[in-house]
Amino acid sequence: MPRKINIKRSVLAADEEFASKIRERLRKEGTLMVNLIGSPGAGKTTLLEATLGEIPFSCAVVEGDVATSRDAERISKTRTPVVQINTQGGCHLEAHLLWKALDEIPTSGLDVLFVENVGNLVCPAEFDLGEDYKVAVCSVPEGPDKPLKYPHLFHEAGAVLLTKVDLIPYIDFDGDLFWGDVKKLNPLASCIEVASLTGKGIDAWTDVLGRWLMEKRR
Amino acid sequence: MHELSMVESLIEELLKLQKEHGWERICAIRLRIGAMRQVIPEIMHFAFDITVQGTALEGAKLVLETVPLKKKCRTCKNMWTDGDEALFLCEKCGSSDVELVEGMELEIESLEVE
Repeated sequence: MPRKINIKRSVLAADEEFASKIRERLRKEGTLMVNLIGSPGAGKTTLLEATLGEIPFSCAVVEGDVATSRDAERISKTRTPVVQINTQGGCHLEAHLLWKALDEIPTSGLDVLFVENVGNLVCPAEFDLGEDYKVAVCSVPEGPDKPLKYPHLFHEAGAVLLTKVDLIPYIDFDGDLFWGDVKKLNPLASCIEVASLTGKGIDAWTDVLGRWLMEKRR
Repeated sequence: MHELSMVESLIEELLKLQKEHGWERICAIRLRIGAMRQVIPEIMHFAFDITVQGTALEGAKLVLETVPLKKKCRTCKNMWTDGDEALFLCEKCGSSDVELVEGMELEIESLEVE
């Protein structure tokens, strides 16, 4: 005869333990961790390249991709320590993968750890990596309707970056609709427009990172 | 298809619990899933049924309970339930300082075991 047992435990409990370990380690080190989430081709790696060229802090990067180490090769040209994780088909990073990758990154004395998640607006928002902030990265060519279509990510993000704004003259993009929907979902998020190739908005973005770092170390 | 990622984690967790407690069989699983998780029940059931094949969980019944969105205004303390995943404005005072109190659950509520 079957008997009922109350569990009340997260479905993701095993991975959440790794996320807690990462959060605790980075709290002790005073390292800010930012989890960049966006579609394939949103411009996450190009944003990182532009950021690493301007930012006045010591940084490291963990790259998450289904396959190849192309992103890590691009980041290493900026002389920033980088580790590539290949998920072999997995559509998002999980905390146990990141915990292992952190073995290869000296976080002592590190100011900011960037994690570039696998290109996807859905699953990466579900899995806590131990980050201080999720950052939603969305590009102009993707269209202005993405916040409402993927509310979980945009609701949770500490900042929303609209990339490739230098393409606005060539694309029918309703910026008022995009930012209006972001505000409805997440009135407290920092909202920044960037064009990584021209450098537009990168200073506003690094200012936000600086504020987050200061708040963490206060 | 984030349901498949959830199902994979769920099965890992269930097999771990089964081993820890020495249950012979898990007959039914009741999950509480917040509306903000945007889970489509049909896809969740489909992903579960194909993933448990060949495991100790084959034949187990999955029951899903959806937890509606509950929001709380930090300004006037008003608390309300609605179905709008995209609107975080207080319906009473208009403040945008609104937190999601319920609707993000992804929890194994209970099991039926033998």
